[in-house]
Amino acid sequence: MNELLAWLSDPAHWSGSDGIPVRLLEHLQLSGPSVLVAMLIALPVGAFIGHTGRLTLLAVTIANVGRAMPTLALLVILLPFILRAGLGLGFWPTFVPLVLLGVPPILVNTYVGIGQVDRDVREAARGVGLSGWQVLTRVELPLALPAIVAGLRTASVQVIATATLGALVASGGLGRYIIDGIALQEAPRMIVGAVLVAALALAVDRVLAGVERRLAAPSTSLAVERSRMAASNLVK
Amino acid sequence: MREGEPLIQWEWIARNGDQIIGRLVQHIGLTVIAVGFGLAISLVLALLIYRRRALYGPLSGIAATLYTIPSIALFAILTPITGFGSIVTAEIALISYTLLILLRNIVAGLDGVPPDVREAASAMGYSAWQRLWRVEMPLALPLIIAGVRVATVTTVGLVTVAAVIGQGGLGQLILSGLRSFFTTPTYVGAFLSLALALALDVSLLSLQRMLTPWARVANVAAGPR
Amino acid sequence: MNAVDLEFRNVTRRYGTVVAVDDLSLLVPAGKICVLVGPSGCGKTTSLKMVNRLIEPSEGQILIGGRDVMAQDPIELRRGIGYVIQQVGLLPHLSVGRNVAVVPGLLGWEGKRIDARVDELLGLVGLKPGSYRNRYPAELSGGERQRVGVARALAADPPLMLMDEPFGAVDPIVRERLQNELLRLQERLAKTILFVTHDIDEAVKMGDLVAVLQVGGVLAQFASPAEILAHPASDFVARFVGADRGLKRLSLSRVADLELLPAMTARDGDPAAPLKQRLSATAFPYLLLVDEDGRPVGWLDQDDLPGDGAVAASAAVSMSPLLSRRTTLKDALSQLLDADVMAGIVVDEQERVLGLVTVEQMAGALRDQRPAAAFSDVKEVTVDDA
Repeated sequence: MNELLAWLSDPAHWSGSDGIPVRLLEHLQLSGPSVLVAMLIALPVGAFIGHTGRLTLLAVTIANVGRAMPTLALLVILLPFILRAGLGLGFWPTFVPLVLLGVPPILVNTYVGIGQVDRDVREAARGVGLSGWQVLTRVELPLALPAIVAGLRTASVQVIATATLGALVASGGLGRYIIDGIALQEAPRMIVGAVLVAALALAVDRVLAGVERRLAAPSTSLAVERSRMAASNLVK
Repeated sequence: MREGEPLIQWEWIARNGDQIIGRLVQHIGLTVIAVGFGLAISLVLALLIYRRRALYGPLSGIAATLYTIPSIALFAILTPITGFGSIVTAEIALISYTLLILLRNIVAGLDGVPPDVREAASAMGYSAWQRLWRVEMPLALPLIIAGVRVATVTTVGLVTVAAVIGQGGLGQLILSGLRSFFTTPTYVGAFLSLALALALDVSLLSLQRMLTPWARVANVAAGPR
Repeated sequence: MNAVDLEFRNVTRRYGTVVAVDDLSLLVPAGKICVLVGPSGCGKTTSLKMVNRLIEPSEGQILIGGRDVMAQDPIELRRGIGYVIQQVGLLPHLSVGRNVAVVPGLLGWEGKRIDARVDELLGLVGLKPGSYRNRYPAELSGGERQRVGVARALAADPPLMLMDEPFGAVDPIVRERLQNELLRLQERLAKTILFVTHDIDEAVKMGDLVAVLQVGGVLAQFASPAEILAHPASDFVARFVGADRGLKRLSLSRVADLELLPAMTARDGDPAAPLKQRLSATAFPYLLLVDEDGRPVGWLDQDDLPGDGAVAASAAVSMSPLLSRRTTLKDALSQLLDADVMAGIVVDEQERVLGLVTVEQMAGALRDQRPAAAFSDVKEVTVDDA
């Protein structure tokens, strides 16, 4: 415990390329864009599957494989290919697997969330004269938003966790402290890294949980009302 | 990972068969211990919740918090307490990760027993304990095993990460290849861990089908009378 | 096991300030069916559930065979009481046979005795043991499930049965069949049954005694169905029973309660002349044509008979409704009115003619509960026996 406090109070650990702020930033720079790109891939595909009801088998397979795939395994399997593509160690060997890991939760939640929108609401929207695209964007997506955010939440936590492992393939981020701490037998370093990563994951999870709750809070009927009103505005 | 070298060198696999099997067995062992203890603990917690519903919120909240902590972080935090490379360190973390899904599924399974079945069971003269174990638990079994499946698959993945702190079965293969820039062991380790996860998933599904003959039959439509 | 009587003594059940059952006192004699009937909120189900202590009374006592239920261990108590509910509550993970075997198993019967009992009961409720024993509840229809529910409740041969709207979840045709079968079973087994329903027709049909309950758990009247229909104790009871209670009373009597009027019968090919002569002497000039087994074929009127020669089946005119001795007067009257005829033909189980009953007789029964013979002179004509 004393060692821990000593380590933390050492100003050297707060500045420079191995300082806490830098590592934290690196971690976010790895996680953030991965989740974003995963969203860019998963949202449209998930929306398509949920809206049309087709390709559900594909979605289910992706979900199962995504769940069964050990994260470490994914990281190292892709490493040679990324290196051979000349992308070098550091960012890309971690970034690509992170995107792949982030896709399944967002995909599944999107397609399930959209698929579970009440059939009555969908029919009402079509009846009012909305085109398929409008039904998707004006009615289904807003109603599926809590589920989508839940998927985002799962994906983000998973990405933050796996970004930590990126240190094994020479990435930066808070994982560096853990891996280096183990290698150098410096317990305080390892623990600080672990605690920071845990705190980051919990913080992001808490924030997104709040967003999810606030989106789900208005009752379904209210949300339905809002989308119906929006729909009728379009027709005018 | 030098240019021109094949990704998988089969002779290496042949030569090191023993080591590979050893790692596989170790991996299975770690998984089974984690899920086994996790199930036992979750059952106890679920029974407490069955008695007092108010406990569900706090208990599942704790399980959820534990689950959110990245595995490698939890392994690292436990290390100074229970030792580096110790099986206890790995297992404490692994067990913690199974709690959320198992607890949720056991509670959901018990909640899913139809109220008229519960009432009829009590009225026939089952004691509370008998009703729980002879009626409610069997009916909760599909959801419980579904939870065990997810927990098992997840645990297989997490065990590979435990290699970083000195435990970890197939994860050791993966890491050793990483350290020596030799791709074969990493691919063997990665492939086997994925295969193991899928194999366990399918076996548990068969187990579920075997244990719940009445669920199969529910798909048969009752004839009109 | 002999049936026992069931007594409620000043039983009250409160939920906070709400009174669900208010000072209920009644005695169900052993071997009788008592129906608790009333609108929603009258406490009928609550009262039922207090007998096997699924709910416990706030005040008062419930005595089974003279023993207070509160003085017994609730688990033991329940193993000695059969319980049937609307949704049946069959255990989905057990086969039909194992479901029926539950209570005997709990009581520690030995395996072979249980197996024999299961088969016996399945047969009793009309389900072939060979086909049904190993099926699962999910494979059965609603009517089949409810039969298994009854078999299960009877398994340990309890002296007392509690039934809470047991036939409410099946369609009317199945419901009637199940009601009749329960009555038939009761003739054999003579159990004490407490039966809850919201349907006054079911209460009248099933009950030896009927307890009409009002909202708030108040007993409005406790008497035989005939008494309640003839003399409702209050406006509430009169309204609940329905304005058609006169007609309902007809459902309490059966064709067998009436004196059958002999029918003049003849077979195809019988000499026509003597029959024609006899017919002209009667007030009811119709000849009932029967086949060689004595089953009714058609009516012939006097004018259809040739002066001599044989009776011809081809001349017969369409049938009146065929009634059994068990048919209630209400159903019989309804059929006669539908067919727009004055008389119905009463037949036995093999459909052989036993005699006639008329609409007038039924109206007479309503008036004074005694059958009136409308065509008294017909008695002098010899009947062609089947």
